[in-house]
Amino acid sequence: MTETPAKSRRQPLGFYLSTVWLVLCVLAAAFGGFLPLPDWNEFDFDNLGVGLGTNGHILGTDGDGVDLLSAIIHGSRLSLIISVVSVVIGIFLGGLLGVTAAYLRGRWDTVITTYFNVSLAIPTLILALALVSVFAAPPTDGSSSSGTLAREPLIILALALVLIPVLGRIARASALSWAGRDFVLVANSMGMKRWAVLRHHIIPNVVPTLLSVALLATGVLIVVEGGLAILGAGVVGGGSWGSLLAKNRGDLSIYPMGSLLPAIAIALTVMSVNYYADYVRNRIDKRQSRI
Amino acid sequence: MRIYSESHMFRFVLRKLGQLVVVLVLATFAITLLVRALPGDPATSLFPFGTPEQLDEVRRKFGLEINIFEYYLRWLGNFITGDFGFYYQPTFGDVDTVGSVLADTLPRSLLLMIYAVVISLAVSIPLAVVMAYRADTRFDRTASNTLFGLSSIPNFSLALGLSFVVAVQLRWLNPIGYEPLNMGVGTHVKSMILPVASLSLGLIAVFTRLLRTDMIATLKEDFIAMAASKGLSDRYILWRHAFRPSSLTLLTSAALNMGALIGGAVLIESVFALNGLGMYLQIAIAQRQYLAIQSIIALIAVFFMVFNTIVDVLYAYIDPRARLRND
Repeated sequence: MTETPAKSRRQPLGFYLSTVWLVLCVLAAAFGGFLPLPDWNEFDFDNLGVGLGTNGHILGTDGDGVDLLSAIIHGSRLSLIISVVSVVIGIFLGGLLGVTAAYLRGRWDTVITTYFNVSLAIPTLILALALVSVFAAPPTDGSSSSGTLAREPLIILALALVLIPVLGRIARASALSWAGRDFVLVANSMGMKRWAVLRHHIIPNVVPTLLSVALLATGVLIVVEGGLAILGAGVVGGGSWGSLLAKNRGDLSIYPMGSLLPAIAIALTVMSVNYYADYVRNRIDKRQSRI
Repeated sequence: MRIYSESHMFRFVLRKLGQLVVVLVLATFAITLLVRALPGDPATSLFPFGTPEQLDEVRRKFGLEINIFEYYLRWLGNFITGDFGFYYQPTFGDVDTVGSVLADTLPRSLLLMIYAVVISLAVSIPLAVVMAYRADTRFDRTASNTLFGLSSIPNFSLALGLSFVVAVQLRWLNPIGYEPLNMGVGTHVKSMILPVASLSLGLIAVFTRLLRTDMIATLKEDFIAMAASKGLSDRYILWRHAFRPSSLTLLTSAALNMGALIGGAVLIESVFALNGLGMYLQIAIAQRQYLAIQSIIALIAVFFMVFNTIVDVLYAYIDPRARLRND
């Protein structure tokens, strides 16, 4: 997040492909349930681990006989919802804490900065792992499906908690730099109320930075969700991309598609999101150089 | 003009150390709270058929009956002296200490990370220098786009892909398993190729992009034009004049990427069954091993923070302006 490309060299093809993939993902997440496909958790015991296009399974099946196209489409919904909702919560709370810390300074700033630093002392994935383990202990009796529904909100909560200090620190740094600008000084010296300065002069300038970071964070969280699933602390039973990958990765040598397809879906999504983040950041850089 | 003196450096180091201690104490306390909040009672999960008296005895032994502050202080005292606690086991007599398990597993994780960083630097430094030298040529553009793509691929996706192609299809390497160094350097290296490659490709992408950007900026400086006008060779200018001032961001990014590297190592270990630290953390969480979880996460945090502090201090040593910054 620190590096800024020296120049923007848009590759029209990459931009186009990213858009197509993201639109597909969103459509799949929203309307995938209406497609005439087998259920994502239905086991076709006559077609275990079959290849592409066998017996009506367009992308084949995994070792459990689950239709992979259906599982990928269903997975897009959970993966996107988990990461997007966590990012929205993280942006809102992190932005609020960061901006107020930067603008109010004093004791509030010390408290918030300490909270950020303490939280950032633990690497993202490790913190997410610890939080998810506490909030949403996987069912100890080994049943894969029970409790699936209750887990997702808790995973979202854990991921949002991981994200708040990351985004908060960026918001604080950005707000600090804007608070030092001349137009803020002028607004303050003209007797404008503090919250009005915050609302009219600082927040509108911090938001674009946060939005471009939000895109990156969405990608990061899709990866973290996959990582948690691999470590056995994420969604269980193949409901999300990460979970599908984690469920099938032991079968890599016999039914490789079961884990490779979700791995590819995750990689494509992260790549597209990063592409957009890069694009937005370039736009913001241009805008800020004008202000 | 401000004079940067030794005392600034000294005060800077003291301030950083103070921050480090405060953050570590608060972080480890937070971990303690978190771990104690884990659902499930370790006593009953270890001795499902224990009598209430037996369960009480187990809880006393684990220190589960004392309040959280006492429990934390006791743990901290032990942790500082290198006693990381023990595993709760339903056996009497010898118990595994967390320290002995760490002695087996930590070297694997550390080796994986060290190999990954060394190889990433070895590849990205020359690559970035050449790309910056030939900025905006077709070579630079192709490499930049490839690196952008690579930096976006999650390491576990890469691990699965590499494992599938190299181990399953081509059968060149074993898909999983770790061979220690004393099994022979060749065997050891072979078992580490795929894990290290999965971890390094992303790092190479990040390092190269950063260094390239900085190198391009440095190459526009007057002193480079000056060096060129003296008739020094391009190679000499690139390495002797341009590389050093450009390597500062690389240093900071090494610190920024440390957290991602630790997380990545934990995941990659799991994918390739290297049985490193990450795997024991997973087992400890699944078995509600309070002391083990607490000590392992605390160790990771200590390692991470100490590393960050060292980088901050190094940076301040190299760039005196950073000593006066207060954030």
